[in-house]
Amino acid sequence: MPELNLDKILASLDLRISEVTLPDEYDQISKDYLGKDSLLAEERKKLPTLSNEDKKKYGKKLTELSKEIESKIESSKKQFILDTFQKKEKEEFTDISIDWNRNEGSYKHILSSVMDEVVNIFSSIGYEVAYGPEAETSWHNFDALNTPDWHPARYESDTIYLNSDLETLLRTQTSTVQIRHMEQNDPPVYIVAPGRVFRSDQLDATHSPVFHQLEGLAIDKNLSFTDLKGTLEYFTKEFFGENIETKFIPHFFPFTEPSAEVLVKWNDGSWLEILGCGMVDPNVLENVGYSKEYKGFAWGVGIERLAMLRYKIDHIKNFYENDIRFLEQF
Amino acid sequence: MKLLKSWLQDWIDLTDIDDGDLSTALESLGFEIEDYKLINPDYKNIIVGKVIEIYQHPNADKVRVTKVDVGNKIYEIVCGAWNFEEGAIVPVALPNSYIKDSFKIDKRDIRGVESNGMICSASELNLWDEHDGILVLDESFKIGSDFSKSYISTDSYWEVGVTPNRGDCMSYLGIARELSTYFNKKLNKIENPLNPKLKPVLKVNSGKSKLCSSYQSIEIENISIKDSSFLIKYRLSNIGVRIINNVVDYTNYVLHDIGQPLHAFDRDKLYGTISVRKAKEGEKLKTLDEQIRTLDNDDLIVTDNNEPIALAGVMGGFDTEVTNETVNLLIESAYFDKVSIMKTSRKLNLISDASVRFERGIDRNIQAYGLKRFTNLYELDENIQYSEISDSSKQTESENFITFETSLIESILGQVIDNKFISSTLKSLSIESEIKKDTIKFKQPSWRYDLERPIDLIEEIAKHYGFNNFKSTLPIGNNLNQVGNYWNVRKYFIDKLSLEKFNETQSLSFTQKEYNEFFDPDKEGVKVLNPIDQTQEYLRTNLYYSLIKTYKFNYDQNSFSGKYFEINNIYNNSTNKKYKKIPKQDYTLGFLVPDNKSDINPMQYIASLLRKIIPGVSFDQLSKPGFHQNNSYVIMVDNKLIGHTGQLSYLLKEELDLSENLFLSQIYLEELNLEGLNTSNYKPLSHYPFIKFDLSFKVNRDLNANDLIQEVENLLQNNENSIKVFDDYAFEKTRNLGIRIITRSYEKTYNEKENTEILNMIVDKLTSKFNITLNEKGE
Repeated sequence: MPELNLDKILASLDLRISEVTLPDEYDQISKDYLGKDSLLAEERKKLPTLSNEDKKKYGKKLTELSKEIESKIESSKKQFILDTFQKKEKEEFTDISIDWNRNEGSYKHILSSVMDEVVNIFSSIGYEVAYGPEAETSWHNFDALNTPDWHPARYESDTIYLNSDLETLLRTQTSTVQIRHMEQNDPPVYIVAPGRVFRSDQLDATHSPVFHQLEGLAIDKNLSFTDLKGTLEYFTKEFFGENIETKFIPHFFPFTEPSAEVLVKWNDGSWLEILGCGMVDPNVLENVGYSKEYKGFAWGVGIERLAMLRYKIDHIKNFYENDIRFLEQF
Repeated sequence: MKLLKSWLQDWIDLTDIDDGDLSTALESLGFEIEDYKLINPDYKNIIVGKVIEIYQHPNADKVRVTKVDVGNKIYEIVCGAWNFEEGAIVPVALPNSYIKDSFKIDKRDIRGVESNGMICSASELNLWDEHDGILVLDESFKIGSDFSKSYISTDSYWEVGVTPNRGDCMSYLGIARELSTYFNKKLNKIENPLNPKLKPVLKVNSGKSKLCSSYQSIEIENISIKDSSFLIKYRLSNIGVRIINNVVDYTNYVLHDIGQPLHAFDRDKLYGTISVRKAKEGEKLKTLDEQIRTLDNDDLIVTDNNEPIALAGVMGGFDTEVTNETVNLLIESAYFDKVSIMKTSRKLNLISDASVRFERGIDRNIQAYGLKRFTNLYELDENIQYSEISDSSKQTESENFITFETSLIESILGQVIDNKFISSTLKSLSIESEIKKDTIKFKQPSWRYDLERPIDLIEEIAKHYGFNNFKSTLPIGNNLNQVGNYWNVRKYFIDKLSLEKFNETQSLSFTQKEYNEFFDPDKEGVKVLNPIDQTQEYLRTNLYYSLIKTYKFNYDQNSFSGKYFEINNIYNNSTNKKYKKIPKQDYTLGFLVPDNKSDINPMQYIASLLRKIIPGVSFDQLSKPGFHQNNSYVIMVDNKLIGHTGQLSYLLKEELDLSENLFLSQIYLEELNLEGLNTSNYKPLSHYPFIKFDLSFKVNRDLNANDLIQEVENLLQNNENSIKVFDDYAFEKTRNLGIRIITRSYEKTYNEKENTEILNMIVDKLTSKFNITLNEKGE
């Protein structure tokens, strides 16, 4: 029975493997040790000349050897590839502290985001968005809202007028949308109206000729003052957080009665006004021809004020200057 | 309204109520607290002294030397004021005392005489502005006592907002009445008995006009014009009223105390009957401020023998004013119509403490009380004598009872309110009422113009019940999570453009005519009647200029700029089809893309962006003012114009000093709806292999590549296709356009032959239809 020096073969294989520099070399090693010109193949050719018993015995031995070579090459190759990649990975380094994308914000204007957030809060309790014109008639801005010509409240705001008979103006409050909406729609009404309002002020740190309000109006058969309270407390909790404290103090608006201002308690313990509200005055409902069985409530909230409170923005001018350093922060 | 706690104490006992509780009460009654502070003396160790001797300073003419008795000792003090004589009681700053601003007073040599401190003026003690001498006190100040303990020198001060419907709370009496209800305390009655010794010399007549329902007066003789009492000066100066003299101060005092404006005439400058009428057109009156006012028929005036002597309720006349020489007074206490006073004071821009009270409405029944209160302020002056009150009041109809059903209260407030509470509240507010089980009857008090309807009384009840004592309930509307098309379309574009890294901007709606006309020379802009300044005389007719301004602002300020968009109204004076009487206003999206020399052409980028976010969009080339002649397009959907896009003209680019080419677009959002924007374009996926052709054509410069692509889409309309331009190269007069076509059948795998047939079919159709030629390989 021929005796192949197995140890010698395996030792030479180890040597070959240790000299590998490229993964492709493993194919040649396989060929050299397992291919048709390999020592192993030579030995296999001898098998037919052996006795049955030897054939069986030697054949088994050769098969075992072949398996061992195969697994040695396979595992070495795997290891080689793994080592290569690991070495490559160890050499690679990324400095993730670099921020190539300068803009951290949403690209949306902060006033849009705040308006959207407020709209969503009211939309979640059944309010739809209504729209009304910004250049308005004095009737919609004042008279229909129970503020006739002689009313002192008419002089409180510095109204921007568009014609000399003072019949058209830039709306001073989004409450005009209450009238526009009710003129065109029958009750029940559950609407919010975000939008621009105008006053005759120069743009500076605390004033702007343009700012935004969101008007809310609910008119239905059984709405009362407690519903007004519940609705606006829901809003302050959704916007400022579950633990915000809210209080209602009496106020005056020509188009609501009773009227109130809503204050929230800030971190420093002070109370801040955030909105005005009230039960819609019966005269307003009469002006739009609603029947007496309907009543409801309305409120108006300043969007800039909400944004300034929440984000500690100190200058109202920031909102309208469009300085990219400001825009990018939100 | 500015409030001193010590003054309120005249009307209501607040000794056991601390400032915090008082603040809470004021706020919950609807008086917004605008300011609150403690008043403390701004001086230390000031003693009350009596000047017992005055003599010439040996070395100086302008000052005198006094001997001042401060109780236990007599000090020599040099004094530069001349407004006092021996016997005057004065505040004295002895050595080691402090006057205002912590200024220390010590012994001092004044031209060879040692002065042991100083005699103080009111302004040196920070009491009030009075610069013409030292403060002379009255007999009630005890010699030797600590000055700060001789009057209420520590006090609390509030400034509260009074809403325009509550004219009755523009006085201490009014505020105290509200507080008395809140704290359940009695409102003090202050009687002002008169003991007239004279008959009035002049007749008064409230005239025929309904605008003056009551005109009353009192004549006071032998008055000497001098300083007011210490208390009046203290109170008025602390609420910011300028101290003048004992006539002006006392009219001001009554006005703030009970809310009745008074006017003092020099009686000796009046001759006939004092009456009230409307002015004649063009009639003239010289007012106290020495201006000649030209009046019209809307102005209410007071007359003497039918000649104007005062603008009723607004300002007195110059010719009849009280001067330092005045000895006899006629004090007017009238009720003038709210609206009339408001119109005149607004028209002449004369807004005073008096006019503000008249226009909000004063108590109809307080005129005589005002005169009594005024006259009683002279109680210490034994020289004066006064007449009885002349009263020319018109008979006015008394207020009727207003009745409503009690159930209305619950229906409006959402909560039942106990009848006992209602009854005690109304009683405390002096609102005459009858409360039965099912109905409430009430009568409007003469000072409460805000209580005309049941709802007014319900508000009053709710306020005194306390808004924060009501429960809260949450009704749900009928449009759950449906914001509607207007807001949806806005949100859609904000979302899409912010993802494309456009910064959203908000700019003012005002601009100059010239900027509107860059882009809209044919549109008539909306002019503002009272513009904020010359640069804001018009409403903008487009968003283009605002966007350019933002772009340039950031480029100049921050050295970089970007893509911007804004969604807001634009306006012009053409007919508004939706609303009558108001200018046309379109809710519009505007956006700006600068050419920052990246590999994508900005105009192609914009067109491709719009195709992506507005399904079915198409463009037609159209020149427009302010834009590039060729690179300017209308944007259409379903043959409807929805906007414009294009490159800013080179001329404007130069005029506006811009360093990059800008591309501007405007889309009229009211022309779109969300359903149209959210159209789904799903195409089923084929399960068969693709075939792919890269074709390169020689084409004309003005060919629309998209027409070619659409043609291929048509030719392969039964397949799943991906057809794109992969190369567009123009050189001199030639242009090569490369198109990659990847197509799959839904039914089978194409063989070689079919592959070639499809290729030839496409090439044949394209070359013949568009008059282009196929580049052979390698060309």
